[in-house]
Amino acid sequence: MAESVSSYLSTLLWSGWTSLLDYLAAHVLLCLVPAFVIAGYVSAMIPKEVITRYLGPRAPRWISYPAASIGGFILAVCSCTILPLFASIWKRGAGLGVAITFLFVGPAVNILAIAYTGAAIGMDIALARIALSIAFGILIGLIMARLFRKDEAIRMAELADSGIFDQKAVVKPAVWVVFILLVATLIVGTLQVSILTTTWINFHLPVEIPSAVLGSLDNLQLTPQGAVLILLLVILAPVAYLGFEGVLERINRWTYAAISLAGLTLLLAAPSVTEGSLLIGITGRFIGELLLLLAIGAVVSTSFTHDELASWLWETWKFVKQIFPLLILGVFLAGVFKAIIPQSWIENLTGQNTILANLIGVLFGVFMYFPTLVEVPIARMFLDLGMNRGPLLAYLIADPALSIQSILVTGKILGRRKTFTYVSLVIVFATLAGYLFGLTLAAI
Amino acid sequence: MIDIKVLGPGCANCSKLEQITRQAVSEIGLEADIIKITDYAEIMSYPIVSTPGLVINGEVVCSGRVPTQAEVTTWLVDTVA
Repeated sequence: MAESVSSYLSTLLWSGWTSLLDYLAAHVLLCLVPAFVIAGYVSAMIPKEVITRYLGPRAPRWISYPAASIGGFILAVCSCTILPLFASIWKRGAGLGVAITFLFVGPAVNILAIAYTGAAIGMDIALARIALSIAFGILIGLIMARLFRKDEAIRMAELADSGIFDQKAVVKPAVWVVFILLVATLIVGTLQVSILTTTWINFHLPVEIPSAVLGSLDNLQLTPQGAVLILLLVILAPVAYLGFEGVLERINRWTYAAISLAGLTLLLAAPSVTEGSLLIGITGRFIGELLLLLAIGAVVSTSFTHDELASWLWETWKFVKQIFPLLILGVFLAGVFKAIIPQSWIENLTGQNTILANLIGVLFGVFMYFPTLVEVPIARMFLDLGMNRGPLLAYLIADPALSIQSILVTGKILGRRKTFTYVSLVIVFATLAGYLFGLTLAAI
Repeated sequence: MIDIKVLGPGCANCSKLEQITRQAVSEIGLEADIIKITDYAEIMSYPIVSTPGLVINGEVVCSGRVPTQAEVTTWLVDTVA
């Protein structure tokens, strides 16, 4: 009895461990490191006024709605930044529809979530998540504006012009150049196209790994490349702490060491390594990443001040501290649950693309609260347990948009009636989005 | 006496901004009154889109990001001069 319990426990831990390794594997790493850097970049370098000036009451609808729907891509990094921004623009006179579009689409199109969804689950889901969130976000906004047009007319008449939407932000061109280069780094790191995956040059590393080491790595389901990457990450953690924690006070030697280590991690993850040997393949991905990193380094060192660099590093570090530990825990637990939850449950409830299955996906997303990004390993777990991709997308759209907590906060800002309508619309449209996506996939 | 207000509901960035401001003030040896404003309605009375915000003598000098200590020092010196 005791033996079977302990063997069951070790199965669970093993399942958690392999999920963690899978997650730290090269392709996920190549997406997450740049994604965190980009997230920090947009927080520190791109002023919110770039978007908010288009969301005011005097902006025409054909500008304000699209601006609200892409706003999250340039500004928001997690659902936690969306709520205060939403409150701020709505109270200062943004139209209800525009504010709602911003609230709904923001968490769905944020760059961390998209990149990670693409790497861990598949580009089809990631792209569908963007496209359907934008389309339905604008639709939900327009419906809300229409339903509550009388309230809106009264509110607009009472509102004093705060001048908040007249504030313009001056952003120097170099900021956009680096933003594009960073996004390119992310794309080159994750996209599966032949020019990137082809190996151009092959060479053997002139070292031998003792077979005992190889054997024990194999037991842990690690490749030598994976082991080196994990080792680098373990070294990076304390160096980053020393270099970034006090970066706003002053930039020190550890700061530069940590930046170099992060770049090195990216480069080492890019080449292909033939299994069981030390044959290193210089892929298009490696060359692309190298060129992009050099370009970023050149622009940043010539056009950015120390203050700007420090703010950027601080924001990146803040997100890593906030999100990464939860993510690791989430991935591990998702792996454990995968071994606990019977596959037949998930298959029976959500194995087919039906309206009910999509609704179940959505409701699960609303009632379970996962911190930013943790919804992705959870979704991966459902996929492995046999969930259909339609309900999976429905879940991924609903989870960041709605949680009990965000519903309560929204209720305080908008009032009960509007919040209830909003929540119902999101549930209906997220269900519909998943269903349509499932149908499309089945048709292809 | 300089009047400094740190606007923010209590997020990680807001406490970082307060810490940095206190360090800047003490390093240049100014006499300043630093108040942290966490009430949302009061924060909204300032013309900022997002927190954290830094207000020196009634004027918003920075919002939506955490400035470096060097930047805060510059603003403080400019105010005194």
